[in-house]
Amino acid sequence: MREVLAKNVVLNVKPLTQFRTIKIQINFLRPINKDESTKRRLLANVLSNSTKKYPSFKAINDREMELYGAEVNAYTRSLLNFNDLGFSVEFADPSFLIGDTDQVENNLDLLGDIIFEPNLASDTEFDSTAFNVEKRNMMSNLQAVQDNQDLVSMLELSKLIHQDEPNKLIPIFGNEDQLRDLTNAQLLDYYHDAIANDFVLINVVGNVDPEKFANLVKDKFSARLLKQKRNDLSIKFEKFDKLIADPAHGQDKKEVNQSRLAIGYYVEKIDKEFSHLAPQAMNLILGGDDQSQLFLQVREKNSLAYSVSSSYSPNNHLLTITAGLDAKTIKQAMDLIEVQLDFMRSGKFTDEQIEHAKKVLFTRRQISSDNIQHYIMRSIWESVYPKAMLSEEAYKAELDKLDRKHIIAVANNLHLIADYKLIGE
Amino acid sequence: MANKLQKYIKDLPNGFKITAVPLPGYKQTYTVAMANFGSVDTNLGQGKFLPAGIAHFIEHKLFAKPGYDVSEKFAKTGANSNAYTSYTKTAYLFQTLENPYDNLKILLDLFQHPYFTEENVNSERGIINQEIQMYLDMPEWVLEQRILSQLYPNDPIAADIAGSSESLQKINKDNLLSTYQNGYRPNNMDLVIVGDVDFDRVVSIVEDSPFEKMDQETEIKPNDFLPIGPGGQESMKISQSRAAFGIRIDTKLTGYELVKYQYILNMIMETLIGESSTNYQSMTNKNIIDDSFSYNVVAENDYCFIIVSGSTNKPDEFQKHLQDYFLNNDLKDVLTEEKFERIRRDAIGAYLFAQNSPDAIANQIAELQFYDVDYLQLIQLLNSITLDEVLAASKEIFKENKFTYYNLIADGK
Repeated sequence: MREVLAKNVVLNVKPLTQFRTIKIQINFLRPINKDESTKRRLLANVLSNSTKKYPSFKAINDREMELYGAEVNAYTRSLLNFNDLGFSVEFADPSFLIGDTDQVENNLDLLGDIIFEPNLASDTEFDSTAFNVEKRNMMSNLQAVQDNQDLVSMLELSKLIHQDEPNKLIPIFGNEDQLRDLTNAQLLDYYHDAIANDFVLINVVGNVDPEKFANLVKDKFSARLLKQKRNDLSIKFEKFDKLIADPAHGQDKKEVNQSRLAIGYYVEKIDKEFSHLAPQAMNLILGGDDQSQLFLQVREKNSLAYSVSSSYSPNNHLLTITAGLDAKTIKQAMDLIEVQLDFMRSGKFTDEQIEHAKKVLFTRRQISSDNIQHYIMRSIWESVYPKAMLSEEAYKAELDKLDRKHIIAVANNLHLIADYKLIGE
Repeated sequence: MANKLQKYIKDLPNGFKITAVPLPGYKQTYTVAMANFGSVDTNLGQGKFLPAGIAHFIEHKLFAKPGYDVSEKFAKTGANSNAYTSYTKTAYLFQTLENPYDNLKILLDLFQHPYFTEENVNSERGIINQEIQMYLDMPEWVLEQRILSQLYPNDPIAADIAGSSESLQKINKDNLLSTYQNGYRPNNMDLVIVGDVDFDRVVSIVEDSPFEKMDQETEIKPNDFLPIGPGGQESMKISQSRAAFGIRIDTKLTGYELVKYQYILNMIMETLIGESSTNYQSMTNKNIIDDSFSYNVVAENDYCFIIVSGSTNKPDEFQKHLQDYFLNNDLKDVLTEEKFERIRRDAIGAYLFAQNSPDAIANQIAELQFYDVDYLQLIQLLNSITLDEVLAASKEIFKENKFTYYNLIADGK
């Protein structure tokens, strides 16, 4: 059941008895802005730290335990060109519990408290303990990024790729400089702005009655969600013409045991009819699993890396190759990666490899529905970017028609745009 | 009440145990074969030890067969396959949409027919060495090994599961085969399938695929533990210091009682230092910990310990605070009836959450069977725990001579 509750406020209810839990998620979306990414992440953390009714981290945790270990999550992530500020609660389906019939309402109340009833010190500031603790935690997490070499190399590659898109130069989880300067009062101002103006999606998946749930949402959140005029979402795609003509290169040396390599490619759209699955099939054969060229040639045959793979992001048409390897073999590995790309461009892959890729794509698509989050993500895409969605039938039809020439075409329209080396010493 | 999980069980005469659990509404079939054999099982007695990392090496190399790799066979059916090694277990698994029976045959081939050659063993060394290097860049992983080397000095548990560059050189096709033959006996393994399968057909396939004849069993000895280490620290090129506080618990409990004890220990730790404790809040407010702070209770085979760890700007205060707190606080002051009920509810919720996931169900059933615990009876086990039992257990574990610590001091980057 899908219902537009107000302009740019959408409710989706997916009644399912497959799972032992029920999940409610509320997402607030607006375009990514470099001056807001840090604020939004800290906001997610401060709101989930405590509320007016549960005014300490301990109190909110006690409540989650009372509700049979409800899992509350508050986060930000990038979704196309939007910053998605999301809040969710997942909890045990009451039909598996004895005598607890108010689970749905109690958990919806908890989520509502977290989003709409913050723990305030005054009209202008959040509770100082909640703000200070979460600011300190976030600073600590941002500093710890430097100890995760895979993440470091991906962030450096991202900087090279998005060098002409200032809003994406600040990681979606914020940065230390902005966080240091952020005050409690600024964050509360921003909270009011985001909650009043962002596009809102409410999703629930699990054993619920759609009508009853819709009425609960309207009863509880009417004043907070349904009275404002919310902003529209406008999708924008980045262009990489400049980097295609002149790829960016980056390199750092660091005292680490293993070196890292991260390479970014833009996949030019070649055939509208096969735009969804041809790049994914190409990616699978190139480096998408343990039967791929990169895995078999770079890791298994030449023992050059423990981890080497490629991944394709259909939303921005970027393909990324990453590897963890010995500093002495970076050149050799890069040459070998290029050999695999040539292998793809010249169509030397076998029919078995194509069949395997098609089978894996089909299997992954089917098995993804065994996860509760799958239904929430589909619903989000249907509201935000329906063009990206394929029905079961359309997916199967495109997969059936997909053949060698489409995969070769993708490989020949793959453009290197950036590479980054983290060299261990 | 909604339908509970059901299961089908068959114990073969050779000791191999087969379990199937239907999961209505799910499209996949998930299967795991588990050996009760892991990285710590290296003690041959009389001071002789197998090289560190040999269980993990076997896990990697069992995929190699004459002229093919088992993962290719899984791939042809569209199945996703994987394997992992822990301190005490090794597991092989697949997840598939179709052909569960063909994939089961492939899985049986995978763990029943070793093919170790000088050439394939040599080529694997380079890959595993890269894996070891990758973990050495992860401070949390390094810290775990360091604290384990304080909790169990010179014990195999303190070594990297994958071994070291030096120990890899001591692994060869001969010791791989003899170790395999010891660890992968049918009475030391089980198999769990979660999904919509014909159980009789599953049993028949397993029965038609006998284990290879094994040489005489070599007994792997339990490890004798040295006294706990005094603690220590080292500097590392990282941006933030990390601290770990360790508690060793020398218990004779086994099987069902050990699993129950693990739940009791978790209840004690949740009450004292979990996110819902006053102490967690106090440590946060004093800036001793950040939100990476966590604890891990391990109770399996001969090992029972608790590690409390996290990033901290004040590693010395971290250690002092925990030591003082554990020694000077009485659990009964904080574990009220109300709190106990919350913790029990939380554990029931966690049990239901895990049932959303075929892989969690399969892996937990496979592992718990080695402890004679029925996964489907875990709620009864939880409900059997009394507040008095938890309070009594807490009196036994907090002793200064069972505490140790390790700090990784940030040396900047």
